[in-house]
Amino acid sequence: MADNNKVVILGANGTMGAGAACVFAGAGFHVTMLARDMSKAKEGLSDTQADARAEAIAERIDLGTYDQQLEKSIAGASFIFESLAEDLALKRRFFELVDKYRSPDSVVATGSSGLSIAEMARGRSESFRQHFLGVHLFNPPHVIVGTEVIPHDDTNRAVLKGVTAMLTKRLGRKVIVTRDRPAFVGNRVGFKVLNETAQLAAEHGVAFMDYLIGPHTGRAMAPLATIDLVGWDVHKAIVDNVYANCEDEARECFKMPAYMEKGLAAGCLGDKTPAHGGFYRKDGNEVFAIDPKTGRHEPLKKPAPIEFVERMKSLNRVGKYSEAMRVLAETKDADAELCRRVVLGYISYGLSRVGEVAESPADVDTIMSYGFNWAPPCVLVDLIGAKTTINLMKRLKLSVPKSIEQAASNGGKMFSGGLLEYGRTLVG
Amino acid sequence: MAKAVFVLGGAQTDFARNWSKEGKHFVAMMREATLGALAATSIEPHEVETAHVGNFAAELYAKQGHVGAFFVEIDPAFSGMPTSRHEAACASGSIALLAASAEIEAGRYDLACVCGVEQMKTVDSTTGGDYLGTAAWYEREAKGIEFPFPKLFGRLGDEYDKRYGLKDEHLAHISAVNYSNAKRNPNAQTRNWFMSETRAQKESKFNNVIGGRIKVSDCSQVTDGSVAVFLASEKFATEWAKRNGKSISDIPRILGWGHHTAPLEFDAKVAESREDEYVLPHTREAILDAFKRAGISGVEALSGIETHDCFTTSEYMAIDHFGLTKPGESWKAVEGGVIEMGGKCPINPSGGLIGAGHPVGATGVRQMLDLHRQITGTAGDYQVEDAKQMAMLNIGGSGTTSCVFVVGK
Repeated sequence: MADNNKVVILGANGTMGAGAACVFAGAGFHVTMLARDMSKAKEGLSDTQADARAEAIAERIDLGTYDQQLEKSIAGASFIFESLAEDLALKRRFFELVDKYRSPDSVVATGSSGLSIAEMARGRSESFRQHFLGVHLFNPPHVIVGTEVIPHDDTNRAVLKGVTAMLTKRLGRKVIVTRDRPAFVGNRVGFKVLNETAQLAAEHGVAFMDYLIGPHTGRAMAPLATIDLVGWDVHKAIVDNVYANCEDEARECFKMPAYMEKGLAAGCLGDKTPAHGGFYRKDGNEVFAIDPKTGRHEPLKKPAPIEFVERMKSLNRVGKYSEAMRVLAETKDADAELCRRVVLGYISYGLSRVGEVAESPADVDTIMSYGFNWAPPCVLVDLIGAKTTINLMKRLKLSVPKSIEQAASNGGKMFSGGLLEYGRTLVG
Repeated sequence: MAKAVFVLGGAQTDFARNWSKEGKHFVAMMREATLGALAATSIEPHEVETAHVGNFAAELYAKQGHVGAFFVEIDPAFSGMPTSRHEAACASGSIALLAASAEIEAGRYDLACVCGVEQMKTVDSTTGGDYLGTAAWYEREAKGIEFPFPKLFGRLGDEYDKRYGLKDEHLAHISAVNYSNAKRNPNAQTRNWFMSETRAQKESKFNNVIGGRIKVSDCSQVTDGSVAVFLASEKFATEWAKRNGKSISDIPRILGWGHHTAPLEFDAKVAESREDEYVLPHTREAILDAFKRAGISGVEALSGIETHDCFTTSEYMAIDHFGLTKPGESWKAVEGGVIEMGGKCPINPSGGLIGAGHPVGATGVRQMLDLHRQITGTAGDYQVEDAKQMAMLNIGGSGTTSCVFVVGK
């Protein structure tokens, strides 16, 4: 990478662009935030200052517009981070300009959360293609440190190594290198679970599913509330992309539920459209939940407590995580079976991505833990026991990943880290 | 002569975690730290003979007393074990360390676990600030005052200013150094936060004044955390070293300690020290006691220090009290880069309380764990090069309880 310390961010007024500016400037880089016009760039800076909780971060930041500062700032930068809308044609138009102005040793990274890296680089100069890769940050980037680095076939190996080292050492990120497949590893595995839960809500109801697959199953936030936070539009873009471009054992789990399609058409985008809401809608102190059967928001009815869920929560509360997972594995009723279907489905689908998009089970663990704040699949296998996990998967007609079979046969642990690294993901 | 006390190592929770958001009771924190410490040291639960818990105010933050007994909940093998809880405000962890080491020195036990724990994010910052006021003389110094402690430590700065002169830019530099060090500590609360000298110097929307001359950037933050370390007799340490392929000479030990208590009220401390060249003479005496017991002539024998920087003014005080400069001249060490990584005597390579975090009752134990990491060369990216002997200073109240340990091989 070039010696200089300059980063340019394209699309710096977006949530991810402003967040990326906070991450790079916080690590001591000098950042130029570019946007369509100066007022947009200023909005971006204001968001960056709020993320950093420091007005003084501005001392490391310049602002500019695509019309006025693009050529000069790109020519002088060692790292160009694209954070425009998830629109391939738009990104390609900007990369054509970047290709024209960039210095030959500068790195160009797209922050796309799942579009094809190779497609973005197609038609660009050899130097551009060699220095181009994906750097997928999760939202909000200054808090969530999980990061995916995605090379394409022409990415120079030294560039990949240099970027990975910079992200790890200087920016303090938890990095995995993934293959250039739709949605990469984190969103592929995560949105399978989120969308499957949304599909099941059509039959079982929103509040019930969020309660059943709640934080006690190893996540900071319940699944449907997570989709509201992400936005239904973003959710649709991710699941549609996987559904259209991946043929795998869980393809049907990526089919956007019909009630969500209707809701989206009616303006339900989740938290960003408070008047329409998403799965949930707030009106003053009152909370409503969407009824998938009618599409209407009805007053939220708290589901009746389920004994095994309450026991798991109470065990997680005092740090008895393996005991909590044993309750999930051993409870014999329909609710527990439904919960196992989603949780074991997550483990199965996640670890089955090894060799296809992820390099190792440890990489799947890293990105689910540090990108999603979910319990790493290998931790769940260790807590449940590899042999029990296999038996449950077979009963649920889920594919059994090779890595779990190996763990069952050699009796070893799957997760390489310790309790202190995963405890935070098991919530009381 | 008292028997030697060895430090075998331990583990800590990630101080950036919010355990209330995780829906957890503080026993979960103790469990993770202690089970993590057992794993890190290859010690079996049944080998632990006694446990000492450092905790400041679980009665307030979690409405739970009898905190020592919670140690037994961690593992079935601990059932029946003698446990106790120790409280001396922010020095609670050190008092637990002193109690455990006294038991080992006396030959009562061969292996003790010291676990510090504080869950503080159960309440809002104003309520938490009021609870912290009980570390002062509450009725006289804290009742009805919003954030009493920043104000008390602001007055420590004012006292320096009065006696010797004090520039806030030196305090800002202390803050920036701690934040910068914390970036290299994977368990530090602020490792992903933004701080610069400019930010620390300027009052702004995000860096408002909390009390007197103390701004947000001068303060340690509200932290949840637990830390566990094992202290052992020579007998256990020798056997433990052997089974782990180490020599007893590789194991750090407590070379010296000091422990003094000054009058509770800040005004009384200042009145008492009026004729003294040191602003907090009892803290100075605790340091000298530790040096004497360790058989070292002074600070020049140390490779670095983990000090109590609940506020930048407390670190400013520690600099001259440790003897890095003449009394009142701490600014010279700040300006000369003495306290920075690579300096003559790095202070708070971990980031200290300001950078790494300050879960009140766990802080002393965290400092001891960091001394162990430094002396064994296992501090990773915040390792002080060739650290041989280091000291820690842990303070409770407004300079009331001062505990010092010197650790080395």
